[in-house]
Amino acid sequence: MKLYCLSGHPTLPCNVLKFKSTTIMLDCGLDTTSVLNFLPLPLVHSPRLSKLPGWISKDGAINLEKVKGDERQFMIHSQMANCLQLPELELLDLSTIDVILISNYHCMMALPYITEHTGFTGTVYATEPTLQIGRLLMEELVNFMERVPKAQSATCWKNKEIQRLLPGPLKDAVDVWTWKRCYSMQEVNSALSKVQLVGYSQKVELFGAVQVSPLSSGYSLGSSNWIIQSHHEKVSYVSGSSLLTTHPQPMDQSSLKNSDVLILTGLTQMPTANPDGMLGEFCSNLAMTIRAGGNVLVPCYSSGVIYDLLECLYQFIESANLGTTPFYFISPVANSSLEFSQIFAEWLCHNKQTKVYLPEPPFPHAELIQTNKLKHYPSIHGDFSSEFRQPCVVFTGHPSLRFGDVVHFMELWGKSSLNTVIFTEPDFSYLDALAPYQPLAMKCVYCPIDTRLNFHQVSKLLKEVQPLHVVCPEQYTQPPVTQSHRADLMLELQPPPMPYRRCSVLNLPFRRRYERVYILPELANSLVPSEVKPGISVATVSAVLQSKDNKHTLQSVPKPPPAPPSKKRKRVIEEPPVTLAHKPLLSGAVPLEAFLATLQKHGITEVKVEETADGHILHLQAEDTLIQLEEDGTHIVCDNNEPLRATLRDLVLRFLQKL
Amino acid sequence: MDIQCVSVLPRVCEVLAASGSSLPDDTSLEKLLDWFTATTNTGVSLLESAPCLLDFISNVAFSSTSGPGILSFTLKLTGLIAASEDGFKALEECSVLKLIFDPHHWKEAGLWEDPCLRIGWIQGLRKMLQHSKALRLFVQADLIEPLLQLQTDSSLFVSSAANQLLAHVLLLYQSLSSAGCNGANKRDLEHSGVSEQTIISCSGIITNVSEYLKKSLVLKESSHPPQSQQILKLLTLLLVQLRPPLQEQLLLTVIDSLEELVTKRWSLPLMDVILAANSSLQDDCVSKQQIVRLLSIMLYMKKPADVIQVAAAFLRSRQHDPTHAAYAAGVLLLPLDIATGISLLKTNSTGVDLRILMTEQLKSKSCISMICVCLTNIPQITVMAPDCLPCPQRLIVAAVLTFLRLCRGDSSSSSTACVEVSRFVTGSSKVQKCAMEALSELSKSPEAEALLADVFKLLTEYLNSPDSDPTVLQKSYKALINWIGVCRDFSSITDQLREGLMQAVRKRACDIRWEARDSTVEFLGHLAEVCPIGEEREPLKTLLGSCSFTIPLLKEALQDPESYVRASSIATLAQTLTFSWQQGAALTQEQEEIVTQLQEILSQDSEGFARRAVVKFFTAWFSSCPSPTSCSLLMQSVPSVLSQGVADLDWEVKLHTLELAELLLDKTFPERLPLHPYAVISNQPHTCHAGENESDLLCSLNSLVDQGVVPALLCGLVDCDRPVALKACQLLIKLRDTVSSLLVNAADPRVSCMLPGQSWVQEMRGNKDAHTQGAPHVGSESRDEAAEETPCTDGDAVCVSVCEVLRTLDLDKKLSVLMQSSDHIYNSPLSLLQDILTASTAASNPNSDPGQEVIVDCY
Repeated sequence: MKLYCLSGHPTLPCNVLKFKSTTIMLDCGLDTTSVLNFLPLPLVHSPRLSKLPGWISKDGAINLEKVKGDERQFMIHSQMANCLQLPELELLDLSTIDVILISNYHCMMALPYITEHTGFTGTVYATEPTLQIGRLLMEELVNFMERVPKAQSATCWKNKEIQRLLPGPLKDAVDVWTWKRCYSMQEVNSALSKVQLVGYSQKVELFGAVQVSPLSSGYSLGSSNWIIQSHHEKVSYVSGSSLLTTHPQPMDQSSLKNSDVLILTGLTQMPTANPDGMLGEFCSNLAMTIRAGGNVLVPCYSSGVIYDLLECLYQFIESANLGTTPFYFISPVANSSLEFSQIFAEWLCHNKQTKVYLPEPPFPHAELIQTNKLKHYPSIHGDFSSEFRQPCVVFTGHPSLRFGDVVHFMELWGKSSLNTVIFTEPDFSYLDALAPYQPLAMKCVYCPIDTRLNFHQVSKLLKEVQPLHVVCPEQYTQPPVTQSHRADLMLELQPPPMPYRRCSVLNLPFRRRYERVYILPELANSLVPSEVKPGISVATVSAVLQSKDNKHTLQSVPKPPPAPPSKKRKRVIEEPPVTLAHKPLLSGAVPLEAFLATLQKHGITEVKVEETADGHILHLQAEDTLIQLEEDGTHIVCDNNEPLRATLRDLVLRFLQKL
Repeated sequence: MDIQCVSVLPRVCEVLAASGSSLPDDTSLEKLLDWFTATTNTGVSLLESAPCLLDFISNVAFSSTSGPGILSFTLKLTGLIAASEDGFKALEECSVLKLIFDPHHWKEAGLWEDPCLRIGWIQGLRKMLQHSKALRLFVQADLIEPLLQLQTDSSLFVSSAANQLLAHVLLLYQSLSSAGCNGANKRDLEHSGVSEQTIISCSGIITNVSEYLKKSLVLKESSHPPQSQQILKLLTLLLVQLRPPLQEQLLLTVIDSLEELVTKRWSLPLMDVILAANSSLQDDCVSKQQIVRLLSIMLYMKKPADVIQVAAAFLRSRQHDPTHAAYAAGVLLLPLDIATGISLLKTNSTGVDLRILMTEQLKSKSCISMICVCLTNIPQITVMAPDCLPCPQRLIVAAVLTFLRLCRGDSSSSSTACVEVSRFVTGSSKVQKCAMEALSELSKSPEAEALLADVFKLLTEYLNSPDSDPTVLQKSYKALINWIGVCRDFSSITDQLREGLMQAVRKRACDIRWEARDSTVEFLGHLAEVCPIGEEREPLKTLLGSCSFTIPLLKEALQDPESYVRASSIATLAQTLTFSWQQGAALTQEQEEIVTQLQEILSQDSEGFARRAVVKFFTAWFSSCPSPTSCSLLMQSVPSVLSQGVADLDWEVKLHTLELAELLLDKTFPERLPLHPYAVISNQPHTCHAGENESDLLCSLNSLVDQGVVPALLCGLVDCDRPVALKACQLLIKLRDTVSSLLVNAADPRVSCMLPGQSWVQEMRGNKDAHTQGAPHVGSESRDEAAEETPCTDGDAVCVSVCEVLRTLDLDKKLSVLMQSSDHIYNSPLSLLQDILTASTAASNPNSDPGQEVIVDCY
């Protein structure tokens, strides 16, 4: 059993598990942090950005127009043509992948890269909300990238010699030549057409060899952990789980019990930030800004934590006297996201589910929309510009601040210290995200809300479900670099977890020892079991083993076909099996003392006994013969003395049971 | 004793003696006893006023057919009567005393098993043992044996009461014998009833008790740990109260047992015994050395969790023992030293072993409780003399600061101990609270000023941290106030620090948790009060840029959805504005808006807290204003505050409103205070103002009516809440006495006021009727007519003549009625006695109409 690790990102995993005869890809997350190396894509021409000077090498020999910046930082000024760093696609042949299991909508953004143009012919399994919201996120990404006209792309800087000379983070970016452009809507549609929907705890057979089944993971709508099991082995894949009470169905922990291997990914990226505290921080900073007459910008994804933020604000705006402040949600998929969340009732936590029967919308943002407190628009163009009123709160993407409508608001509000930008998504470093907007007068507040498991919760979980082996990204096996004294921010397990990094290939530490074989009833009828120990019976069986679709069946030996009627048609037929003389099967052990006594009775007196690792060696010195008594065999070594060998054999057999 | 009660009592005694089962409720005997005790305390002899009690006691004692409840009551009553020597004599004469306190008598009757009886026996004896005769009886009847047996009674109440009784016996013996020893001659002794023989015969008790304690200390420790704790508590009690030589005699007997316990198992009560012995023993006592040795054994134990408790107990008991105190302080500081890596202690001051063991212990979860003990006892360390302290207090402050940083998960040290401790304490609000308390206390340390900036920075971090629990926030604010309060120089607070604090406060004022918002608002109030009166508002101005920062925040808080926060913000506004009121500064536009907002709250807010705070705000404003009348907004607002406040549904709002009315009253008629406390005050109030010009008085009274004071008082008088009516009545009496010269004349129609509602008119009529009936000579035809005419109704509102009302209302009678609690009739002894009788009649006629009983019940 092997695990190929195509991504080193702990929360955007992409691993391939080879288990029995299947090849299963677990998630295909897309790490978009590489876009931070680029300048933002403004919706309207930004003179500020285009006026930034280009980079000139120290000796003045190289002058790159497309690498812009100032003494603080240089970034690539191109239309983000090849800006995305994909999972490692060369580690194994992707066309051999049988299935892809998706655990949540954040972990499927690289799907088109895997399913298109690689010869992939398998199936993708995901829950319905994962598929639908994943589609929205992909659609949004494509929209953000495509709506700005592509003038030209910059490639010069990717030259190894030149990159080496570049300043700051650009110099350290890895594999820049492999960075790819964003996929198209057509590719998204094609990739998603390969998705087959599954429900929680539904069992899906893969070629009869293994069974996979998604379990609720409590992190987001439709998010799941996966169980991959055969009759005798069980692998759990835990990715992005949460034990907090937010909107999704609670996590199913008990089904993870008794795993041979547990692959653990997607723990919180903010182990020191308690989500409740952060939510409080978010609300108070928001209220503080609005009261002072400023605007609040919340760069966020169009699905996920935003539902919880809106729910929290729903309760908070009354108490903070913010009743008249408008809230805007701007995203090409804003409308669908808000509406989808209301229709996936069966994937929600219990108390939201019960609301549906009242009937009431499960999320309170419906009421915010109804009372006109929350308004949503596909983009800043069109209706929004006529309705826009300040001070206000704007939720919009993309959290990297490199593309999407957020770029516009950063340019618009960045100059006033009354305004605040509040970061809630943990995927990007807020300082890196803000770099191209410096100097910035706007206040910045960082309250990352990551509801995924923290180290304390995960160690409790592992204590409960007791997996034999744990595999996890190497980042989880040591404290964070910035807080090396926090021994509580790492996984401490016995036996220690197996760490992986990008491009690792792990041999998972357990051997398959058993296989299930079925016996046909008529064959079973013919068996004559005899009891060797109380409760254990043994029978010999002669049969034909048939293996089909990874199922093994014992069938009766077919009777030899009647002799061919004519000799004209000579066919090569299999030789009938040679029927061997029936040899009894032996069981039991030869007791040393008793055996020595018997030998003595038969006149063999000079016996030297030597103890070995597996048993004993008896040296019959007079006869120059060796008897090796081992746990699973006895050897009599005597040269050219057949009668003696037969005698000794019979003596040994006396002590053994025959079947 | 009430004549009526005396007449009913014999029948009650009969009923009780006949059968005790038919009592109205199980507390009636207790109430009866309370009444008897109260009567005795006033110096009345029970037997003289109610001789029937003696018959009752002997009846019960000899018949033994009564229930245990009655018997227990009888025992206690006997003790109460026998507490006086006369009563004792009377009881002894009818030879009832010996019998009633004889346990064998009750054992034979099979009643001793009932804990109720045993407790009656103990409490009866406890009441009786006040004089030497009683003690002699106790000795002669050999009651010490049964009492010692009761020390470990199966009932916890019995055993505890028995402990107390034993201590009492010894103390009585001590006081009697010391009276005997202290140079009094034999004749005096005999006169006081203490014979030498008594003392000698009683000395056996001491031996008995000491032997008993010695034996059971060790025995019970192994067999019944809870009982052993009980005995240790008894021993502490005795050691604290007894004096030498008795004290030492006791200690000498038990010291070996104590030593055995000390080496066996540590416990807090045992520590208390040792500490009590150590502090009460004279230095020249024989056993002092041994006690000091035991103390050392305990202090130098090697079990970290225990030794910390011992050290804390030692410091709390304020022993005068510098060496041990220094060591105990060292032990308490050791966990902080290890956890923070700041060397508070010299390397070997607490021993290497203990340090190693402590370091190990801190790696487990128990480190939380150990560190909490250490932190909560820091106040004991700070009051120690500087030469006893293991390190300068500055270092302790630094260690607490470092530790608080550790609690936030931020640490500069990488020692293993530090890493291990941080695993448990990070984010633990329990530890954070203890540490904040300690930091608050440390503000008193002499070198506080130098560390202000560090403390300020850390507290701001806590205030800013999203993970701080509301209680931790509150403690942080408290610590900040304490530190700001002791500092005079704020030059170390940089602008950046100041800005940080302002930012944090502004953010917390918008916090999602109301507790946090409330603490923030309260903090602003405390900060306003920190500055000394009359001085420039240094802290507030320096730290938060004066009121321009706080007032907008508080105005927002006035609209908070949580009523506590609204109330706090109103109170804080008052605290913040007090200074400008005192200065008589002109009101700003903002302040005028606030007043309007407050009046809205008073009339519309659904919660009492906020409305109470509004009334208090105006009271504070009025009382701190040097000349309220010159502040037109205040005087404009007062009438509406008074009229709304007194009509409020919440009785506290009404009461606060009357307090405001009182202020106005006092302002209008400033009292002529006597020049010195011994000056003679005239009893006749009207003479006070003999020289007062009548028209001045009239004018003042008119202004009171205009301000709404008089209507408020009159409304308050008929209020259904007793405290409100009482307060209004007292104020009206004050007013009446002040303006009495106006009242001598016939009803003066010159001052009249409008009142809403009819209830007070009925009240006045009722009073007037009583008035005229009670004193027919006073009333005259013409006055009656005038009174009839005065109230002229206008819709619901009524117009009355103030002087007429003040004259006609019998305020003094009203006051005496209001002074009594509303259940005074129900709780009177007569009512109790009657209840007992009624219940017995009902019980003796079980066939009486059950319907009637139900009616009685309903009533």
